Amino acid sequence: MMVIDPYTLIAAVTVGGVLVGGGVHFIPVGGAPAAIATATGVGTGTAMLAAGSGMTGLITAAALTGQAPWLILASGAVGSMLMICITMLVGNLVYVFGVGCVPVSAKVDTDPITKLPQEKFVTPGTEGHGLPTVCYVSGTIGGALGGIGGGLVYWALYGALANPIFTLANRTDLSAAMVAGIFALSVFFVNAVIASYNIGGTIEGFHDPKFKRIPRGIVACLIASLVAGIFSLFLLPGFLGGI
Amino acid sequence: MDIVTGLAVVSLMGAAATIAGAAEDLESDIGSMSNPNSQVQLAPQMGNLHRIFNKAVSGEPVAFGTWAGIAGSVALILLPTGFGPLFSIATGAFIAALVHAVFATTSHLGRTTGSSRFEQPLFLDVVTQHLGPIAAHGFIVTFCMVGLSYLMWTALGHPFPLPMLAVMWGITIGAVGSSTGDVHYGAEREYQQYPFGAGIPVAIHGDITRMAELGARNSIDVVNFCAKYGGPLTGFCFGLIVFLSFWTTIVFGATGGVIAGIVIILLLIYLNLRIEIFARENYGEYKQEKMEEL
Repeated sequence: MMVIDPYTLIAAVTVGGVLVGGGVHFIPVGGAPAAIATATGVGTGTAMLAAGSGMTGLITAAALTGQAPWLILASGAVGSMLMICITMLVGNLVYVFGVGCVPVSAKVDTDPITKLPQEKFVTPGTEGHGLPTVCYVSGTIGGALGGIGGGLVYWALYGALANPIFTLANRTDLSAAMVAGIFALSVFFVNAVIASYNIGGTIEGFHDPKFKRIPRGIVACLIASLVAGIFSLFLLPGFLGGI
Repeated sequence: MDIVTGLAVVSLMGAAATIAGAAEDLESDIGSMSNPNSQVQLAPQMGNLHRIFNKAVSGEPVAFGTWAGIAGSVALILLPTGFGPLFSIATGAFIAALVHAVFATTSHLGRTTGSSRFEQPLFLDVVTQHLGPIAAHGFIVTFCMVGLSYLMWTALGHPFPLPMLAVMWGITIGAVGSSTGDVHYGAEREYQQYPFGAGIPVAIHGDITRMAELGARNSIDVVNFCAKYGGPLTGFCFGLIVFLSFWTTIVFGATGGVIAGIVIILLLIYLNLRIEIFARENYGEYKQEKMEEL
């Protein structure tokens, strides 16, 4: 297994956090309005859906602990994408067959991917409903970025905790996986919440005008993740007075 | 582990996840958790007093992460005492159900008190009627969640400890339930006096359906409806997530599993497109005269 030095750890947590924060901007969430078919997107909060998909990615990434780094990141991305893709598909089944409305976006006249017209299918008085293809693809990209980011943080911290320089005699692989998992979970929540503040409620995906705010969100996530990366050094046994 | 045993374990996990998913959505319908509750909270402000249970003081993912975490922690403590995994997990789920009932009571009382300036009454019979189903559905969810986490922890040898797996799956099931089944409650059951086949315009927000098939509607009437579509679909969704997340790795190995996962994702994107086109062809465009009926 690759041993991670402190500088690589800080870099990995920072990059992982930025990937998570950037990925959240791709995920189409409509919050409470989407839950009553008044807005396009998944009917839940930004941070909550991103966290749900990130948890699945983290679980699948951790299942391959000890494997090659690219495999851990790929597994995290696939787990995260699977969660969000299945959730969006079943969400659409509810919109189409349970509510009886067409998945449609109110932010664009035609779907940028399928070129299908949107405006005439939007219920008057609403901001769209369901998840058209462009939102679906955007959400899949967001899931992939989030899964890679979460997996990167987990891989780096697990590798650092397993470094013989910092390892105490009674430390086991189980505790290293646990600490790395909880820290990755925390980094995920921090960046998901920062991104959702930047989004300010609802976003349909990369075609939404709000998506232009992404540079500001990435800078904020970069700063927060860098601080989190520096603080992660305190988790290393014997380093800077860590546990 | 050989493929047959692995598949048996993953199938069992998928079955537990399916039951948990369905029960989770139905719990959030009885307790009016999550985003559709915004309308339940808004209704008294629009002059529409109701008998719907209202306990959404926390996001569904965080709440279910907490219940599953409590159940998983208690189960982990009881496991070495020799009572066996089934008894330990059931006891953990029972303790979580008790905490859940306390949470439901205090949050409902708090939420209703918050609406008192709009003359929304607190119905004590609503509290007593709904607590049992809320705690019971919560018990089913946490029992299945900790059960599938236990299978992952022991049979699949996952590196995360039992309570942590339970918390993480709890957060995921909350996100899934909030994103899928709750839409059936929010966009359909809450607005049943309006014609089927449209989104909910902003102009009618807060005008929720308050009369049931007989008498005033309460949240038991809501769950009776949502159990026929939203609940089972949520179960199907979460079961599929848990099953496919591990099925690919067990059947195709680590690298093959990643490739198989990507193929499944591409198929899902195509399936979503087919559903979108089906809806467009069968439902058609909205016409102005139809909306005037609203």
